[in-house]
Amino acid sequence: MRFMILVKADKASEAGVLPDEKLLAAMGKFNEELVKAGVMLAGEGLQPSSKGARVKFSGEKRTVIDGPFAETKELIAGFWLWQVKSKEEAIEWVKRCPNPMPGESVIEIRQVFEAEDFGPAFTPELREQEERLRAQLSSKQQ
Amino acid sequence: MRFMIMVKATRDSEAGVWPEEPEKERLFAAMATYHEELAKSGVLLDASGLQPSSKGARIKFSAGKRTFVDGPFAETKELIAGYTIIQVKSREEAFEWAKRFPAPHGDDKEGEIEIRQLYELDDFGPSEAVDRFREMGLATAPNPKH
Repeated sequence: MRFMILVKADKASEAGVLPDEKLLAAMGKFNEELVKAGVMLAGEGLQPSSKGARVKFSGEKRTVIDGPFAETKELIAGFWLWQVKSKEEAIEWVKRCPNPMPGESVIEIRQVFEAEDFGPAFTPELREQEERLRAQLSSKQQ
Repeated sequence: MRFMIMVKATRDSEAGVWPEEPEKERLFAAMATYHEELAKSGVLLDASGLQPSSKGARIKFSAGKRTFVDGPFAETKELIAGYTIIQVKSREEAFEWAKRFPAPHGDDKEGEIEIRQLYELDDFGPSEAVDRFREMGLATAPNPKH
């Protein structure tokens, strides 16, 4: 099963303060362990919300709102995608993660939907299309 | 440059509830068509849906301490229900694609997506740690044409 591990933002990450070399080194080591264990699928950092935007949907209407966004602690500053055997395994890995921020911080663990979770609305045609897309993507990433 | 389009959660997505048929199938088809267009344009890198936060957890870090908190989490509108990662030439191109995103919870439902740029390894400046990330193939764009 796949999990997305979300690093919540803080004042520093929203201000565009980058991790120092000590944290980068600690994260690099942790990531190396994830790769060696075959757990790591992806890992990325997000730039501050000041460089981003939101689109609100209401009926046919779409409203674009430029960042930054106020609720810092609910914003995302980075994420991993992991392949593990259980939620417990994902939690064990997160407990070993270096504190991603200089002060207090929160990491959220969320399970990713797989094709079989969507039921019959995910028709055989859509499933075939999804598999085709994934094959294209993995060949692109090599 | 790479961008992540995050779909914000709703009460229904947090309850694990899909739109009623035939709206559910229409929504899935609209999402499939949109992502197919992204793929055809060479823009799509990845996309997935997240299960409700009731099946997730949080770890809080504070002064060397780690505290474990089981889901669900209350602030529904700030939670993430899914994401799409794209690789484009400009912020404007990313925002144009985002505006064409299907209403994420169905045409008759309110929804919100957030568009955020990903850090590239070059943004962190040169260091041994950054080289190690590069060797792992992390935080790097797979396709040099953009």
